[in-house]
Amino acid sequence: MAEIVELNMAGPIARVTLNRPEQRNALSIDLLAGLHARLDELAERGKAEGPRVLVVSGAGKSFCAGMDLKQVLGEPGAPLKLLTLLAEACIKLRALPFPTIASIQGAAIGGGCGLTTVCDFAITHADCKMGFPEVDLGVSPAVVAPWLVRKIGAGRARAMLLRGGLMSGRDAHAAGLVSECVDQVEGLEAATNSLAERLATGGPRALEATKGLLNEIDGSGDVGLAQRSARVSAEVLALPEAQAMLRSKLGL
Amino acid sequence: MIRIEHKDVVGRGGESAGRITRIILDRADKKNALTPAMLDGLIAGATAAAGSRAIVLEGEGAAFCSGFDLTRCRENSDALRVLLDGLSRAVRTLRRIEAPVVVAAHGAALAGGCALLGGADLVVTHTDARIGYPVVRLGISPAISAPFLRLAVGDGRTRERMLDSALISGWEAFRTGLAHECLEDAGKVRARAVAIAEGLAAKPAWGLAATKRWMNEVDGTDLDEWPDRALAASMSIVGSEEERERLAALWKA
Repeated sequence: MAEIVELNMAGPIARVTLNRPEQRNALSIDLLAGLHARLDELAERGKAEGPRVLVVSGAGKSFCAGMDLKQVLGEPGAPLKLLTLLAEACIKLRALPFPTIASIQGAAIGGGCGLTTVCDFAITHADCKMGFPEVDLGVSPAVVAPWLVRKIGAGRARAMLLRGGLMSGRDAHAAGLVSECVDQVEGLEAATNSLAERLATGGPRALEATKGLLNEIDGSGDVGLAQRSARVSAEVLALPEAQAMLRSKLGL
Repeated sequence: MIRIEHKDVVGRGGESAGRITRIILDRADKKNALTPAMLDGLIAGATAAAGSRAIVLEGEGAAFCSGFDLTRCRENSDALRVLLDGLSRAVRTLRRIEAPVVVAAHGAALAGGCALLGGADLVVTHTDARIGYPVVRLGISPAISAPFLRLAVGDGRTRERMLDSALISGWEAFRTGLAHECLEDAGKVRARAVAIAEGLAAKPAWGLAATKRWMNEVDGTDLDEWPDRALAASMSIVGSEEERERLAALWKA
């Protein structure tokens, strides 16, 4: 049976693929647990097999539609569990000692867009849908805020998260959310491979020393901040009015 | 290999407005590749220009600066340590000197040459200049630049520049905040940098100096903690097997 998150480590370019295409790779507890398992495996096997680059992508038409909102409407403990899993997965992804690339097709929304901001590089296509519509739904993107601030700066992050809505891949590039934007989705795979192959030519020790310093200087290892961010998102998500709004939006 | 020139500036009312100092990397046959002596000369020139109203840093010939002269690093890792140490001091000196610093980044500003932009208050370039850090593929870490580059382009784009050996255009540098003016014509960049410096020199010096000092305090570049840690990160892998092999391969190629 196919894994819900797949890891492929053939050669210098490792690939982690979110593999729940029928739900547009929505971040469920199972999917995030799978992501943790694959990131642990990558960090462990990476020591011996020495991948130089990681490409993160989503199977099917969309990179990731965001949090699995149906799941957070059931059990009272589900929002915090889900958001803490996401926050801790982000910490693990950032701590990998080689460059990471998010290859984004179709859509990267909410928590899914947040995951892309943790990667060192992100590539998308002009008509991709990206952004953080949490505030439109009466919930909070607090969990991604520290990563978005590190990615595009505090001023732009504030405007983006408070304004909500979605933007095109082209606009995401202008905002600094992605490092490269190709015209057509058909060109995404080739552009991703080209970047991955170029990054893989870097000296592993030079990359590790450089990324280590970059992670220190922007506070990427701040586990406490990541966990507090998850709690803020979870608290808003648990509010009765937020739950009621989500139920009506989802037609439940 | 460092040439210093002075230029007297006339104020708006025709009165003398002091002078500007031009510090010129003058090793055009090697694309102004930096030696320890050049970095010391640059630091000495900037320090001696303390009384100037503005400083211009330029490169003679086709390119501003192609980075470190690695020829002596081939046999001896200590040479790279000396260069990294000199570069770190040079960037801090430019950043902290009282007079504003304008860099003319024409042709190319690569690796250590790109790091010098971190010391500048204003950077002028042109659309097809080549800018970036093609050094991780040599087994060298550009971490030394991070505390300064992040202030210009932000943490996200600092990652993109430092982990990727690919170069960006002058236009992209301008779009992302690494350069502040972008001309069409490479041949006009140096003259434009001098003109900007003259414009700065005509302003009341005390206001500029107080503002620059305060900006350094606000963004933390008056302190040595992060520049020290960043230098240590670059130093930590000097002499590694990876660097030795990759530098040796560079001369075989």
